[in-house]
Amino acid sequence: MNNILEVQNIHSFINQYHILQNVDFVVPRGSITALLGRNGAGKTTTLKSILGLTSVRQGKVVFDGQEVQGMQPFEIAALGIGFVPEHRAIFRDLSVEENLKIAERNKGELDEKREFIFNLFPDLKRFLHLRGTELSGGQQQMLAIARALVADNHLLLIDEPSEGLAPVIIENMIDVIGQLSKQSTVILVEQNFLVASKLAEYFVIIEEGKSVETGLMKDLEADKAMIQRYLGAA
Amino acid sequence: MKTTLQKNSKAILVLIVIAAFLVIAARGMSGRDVVITVLRGFSVGSVTFLVAAGFSLIFGLLDVLNLAQGALYMIGAYVGWTVYVRPDTFVDVLTPVLLILTAFALNILWKHLAGAIKMQAKLRKLISWVLMAGGFVLLWIFLTKYPISLWDLNNYSQSPITYSYMADQGLRIVPAEATFEVISPIIAILGIFVSSSLSAFGLALRNREETQLRKMNWRQLIAPALLFLVAIFAAIFNAPITAWMYALSTNWLFVIAVGVTILTGVGLGALIETTLIRPLYNRPIYQLMLTLGLGTIGVQIVQAVWGRPEFVWPKPELFRGTGGACPATNLADLIENQCSTIMILGGRVRVYDEIFIPVVGIIVLVVVWILLKRSRIGMIIRAGVQDRQMVEALGINVRRVFTLVFALGVGLAAFGGALAAPSSGLTPTMGDRLLLSALIALAVGGLTSFPGAALGSLLVGLIQQFMIKYGQIGIPLPFTDVVFKPSPALVPASTVLLMVVVLLILPNGLLGKKE
Repeated sequence: MNNILEVQNIHSFINQYHILQNVDFVVPRGSITALLGRNGAGKTTTLKSILGLTSVRQGKVVFDGQEVQGMQPFEIAALGIGFVPEHRAIFRDLSVEENLKIAERNKGELDEKREFIFNLFPDLKRFLHLRGTELSGGQQQMLAIARALVADNHLLLIDEPSEGLAPVIIENMIDVIGQLSKQSTVILVEQNFLVASKLAEYFVIIEEGKSVETGLMKDLEADKAMIQRYLGAA
Repeated sequence: MKTTLQKNSKAILVLIVIAAFLVIAARGMSGRDVVITVLRGFSVGSVTFLVAAGFSLIFGLLDVLNLAQGALYMIGAYVGWTVYVRPDTFVDVLTPVLLILTAFALNILWKHLAGAIKMQAKLRKLISWVLMAGGFVLLWIFLTKYPISLWDLNNYSQSPITYSYMADQGLRIVPAEATFEVISPIIAILGIFVSSSLSAFGLALRNREETQLRKMNWRQLIAPALLFLVAIFAAIFNAPITAWMYALSTNWLFVIAVGVTILTGVGLGALIETTLIRPLYNRPIYQLMLTLGLGTIGVQIVQAVWGRPEFVWPKPELFRGTGGACPATNLADLIENQCSTIMILGGRVRVYDEIFIPVVGIIVLVVVWILLKRSRIGMIIRAGVQDRQMVEALGINVRRVFTLVFALGVGLAAFGGALAAPSSGLTPTMGDRLLLSALIALAVGGLTSFPGAALGSLLVGLIQQFMIKYGQIGIPLPFTDVVFKPSPALVPASTVLLMVVVLLILPNGLLGKKE
């Protein structure tokens, strides 16, 4: 199996609204795939549908050879999917350390990964005992990513990592995500095309709940017309 | 630090004003009255806290307003009373209850069996309902044939009131044992187990399509097997266990009674959450109606089984001493004579009511606080209060934590009932007043704040007690000769007034967070 994830013609609903209307793509193992598209196109819903946070009514989601659609979100996540949501969702009543600790699926996981995580994010080590929300926006984003690394996750779903961050910090973020992709597969939702094109190997364009184009990022970069058509000015 | 002070300046100001009011109120009394009033305030506050804390935990994580909390407090009192005053009834009931529990604890096995059976969805639904209903009817038939020695509401000499009175006088006579007459013990036990298993299997069959089949592990069968063994053990050794419990010192009996009450509360909570609340998440109005209805049903059931009239729960020996050195004037005398009262600053204080209850309240506060702050479950609860989806996305089974928290909350309320009953007595309506107090305490302290629940409960308890005391001694109104005596009806009104004032200034309560 070369594909860690196969999303096969899924349809998802939020209440009565038909949000995803046929999204279909595959994610090769060890790659970074960017989900692109305009605001409200269904990128975040696609991530949530993979995790089961939004219910998939039609189609299949195959993770590591196993059909996961219809499973409970916690069961899907426990198969080895890490989620870094939009707006970070740091737990404000928990300290930085607890925010990491809560992501353990087996006892002692955090201690095993401590060094690896603090090498990537030296800032977190200094602020271990602060409350999650006392961190700056960039540090919160780091914490949200670090949280997804505590457990053994083979697939990371990262939603809008550069949102609201200063350019210097975005550079740092790109560096970190690049390093991560050496160990796990990454699906990235990114509004900032420059960030996406620096990181991703593959792309999926989602438009009005449908996956309209997929392919190699370098082909997309060369195709200015397509960028113009689906993503507006790039 | 300055910023946190500034952020909470309003709350601190309100607290200072309330404290000042209480100090002024205290200055109008003799020192003796102040001691008793304050201690009673702590006592009422502690009991209120046990109900309010459960309420706040459940609301914080599950977003469910459990209006049955008052009734569950009351049920806790009655369950504890039964274990304490009529251990024989408790031992008789133990076997059937454990058998039913075993049948439902075998859920994994039923799910597995249900998964192995392939049939049409419609047929599956029909058969599941038939099994559930049939199992229930059979269970009912077997239960009515199962011998349980019980009091008799229609015969005063056999009523709970009389048994309470006798226990209070130290006349702990074992009532006549109920014996198997209609059916043999083996058939009764098997009947109860099989019929409840049928119901449990029916339930599993109905839910089959929603859940994925998981691997079965023999370890998962240990708990049901243990339950079953205990049930059989209790059936075989029914008479010796009963005799042993009757011979036990009332102190230990009290501990057992409270323990059983907590377990019952936890079990009831888990049952209510999994069967009734779970289908109604995201439908708050239905939850309100359901929990309100459950509370009413609880009151009716208790009235039917234990009767309407009030009766007492005699205090354990430890708090009944009346020897020469009583009321005790110092701690040594108190411990040596197990005095029922102690003199503090000239006030005669009841040890159980005004010292033991607050101490237990504080212990529970500390234990739950540590649980929330130090344990993994506590961490998940604190995180889940804020963002359930993210917790689930980390691979944590939030549903199971929901059940646990609901069970814990109900267990706390039942504990409160058992703790308060020896002081307040038992009536089927004892929970109503307390539910109101607990809700007001939560509104004052902040709905989802755990320390807020403690603070609010304490304030509500103190204000109630001050009002009651002033109802006795009267407030001389300044510039007039009139002495105003607040009538008892003003006691709950005063706490409502407190709530209104606090909420006008701090819409989220004293320690509540802004949403």
